[in-house]
Amino acid sequence: MNTNMIFLILGMALVTYIPRALPAVIIDKMKFSPKVEKFLSLIPYTAMAALIFPGVLTVDANLWYIGVIGGIVAILLSLIKKMPVAAVVVVSVVADMLLYTVI
Amino acid sequence: MSKKQQYCLGLRTGLPVILGFVPVGIAYAIMAGQAGLTVAETIQMSVFVFAGASQMMAVGMLAQGAGVVAILLATFILNLRHLIMSTCAVNRMKRTTTGFRLLAMFGVTDESFAIYTTMEEENCSVWFFLGLITVTYSSWVAGTTIGAFASGILPQLVTDSLGIALYAMFIALLIPNVKHNFRLGLLVVMTALVNMGLQQVMASSWALIVATLVCAALGAFLVDEKAEEAKQ
Repeated sequence: MNTNMIFLILGMALVTYIPRALPAVIIDKMKFSPKVEKFLSLIPYTAMAALIFPGVLTVDANLWYIGVIGGIVAILLSLIKKMPVAAVVVVSVVADMLLYTVI
Repeated sequence: MSKKQQYCLGLRTGLPVILGFVPVGIAYAIMAGQAGLTVAETIQMSVFVFAGASQMMAVGMLAQGAGVVAILLATFILNLRHLIMSTCAVNRMKRTTTGFRLLAMFGVTDESFAIYTTMEEENCSVWFFLGLITVTYSSWVAGTTIGAFASGILPQLVTDSLGIALYAMFIALLIPNVKHNFRLGLLVVMTALVNMGLQQVMASSWALIVATLVCAALGAFLVDEKAEEAKQ
């Protein structure tokens, strides 16, 4: 195994772990105001929104509607009360599979 | 719930991620092979780094002849979002030691963060998180290993269709929380649009960070307490 590769993998491990680990070390020294707690409680929603869109349009780099149809199926199923996440995922995948077979 | 029950609940809750991580792991391993990495190097990167997008970007850059420093810098920037996600996750992880937190935070990814931070507060122990990342980490390493040894194992139709899996999971985690809270729903739509707008003027890894932070800050002033009630 060449040394350049060892250096790259260990270096990547380090620069990936540092942002992940830093909050674990300093969180006890921080005291958040209610406004900041509010801000932190909203981050999951804003982060997920940004992770979904517009990325979902490029699920298939050439066919934008693959992501859109799969996404719409996921939204409709998620609106049903108590629908398990796994079911939403599986049905969306199957929907795209059907879509690929008919186009 | 006992620690063991919390751990097992984490395992179960993580199961949908397998559908997303195994195929992406296979795709990464194929790209890595094409970029000239050995089977051992391909798997080691998944074992030590555990960051799908960064690993794909790294092997893509290697294939184009980029240097180590450039790749490390790009990896660091791409993973800065984990700093925000880890802060949120660790802020919910009360009553545990720094050692356990350091172990758990190795497993912070978009997916484990999304699942953990949308769980009911009483389930948010470090044991739940450890169960969750046991599933995500092993499916990532398993997917990589499968791809490194048998790249053609999944038919094209299946690989293509599995592309929607992680998006469907994010949607399934997001919708139940926003459907009873109009303002939160509005904030989510706004963030998506802001992210798309920002992507026109900056790299998408930066756009994601800026959109997430700016919109959450705006939301802290606009969204009322119903956001908390809506979490059932």
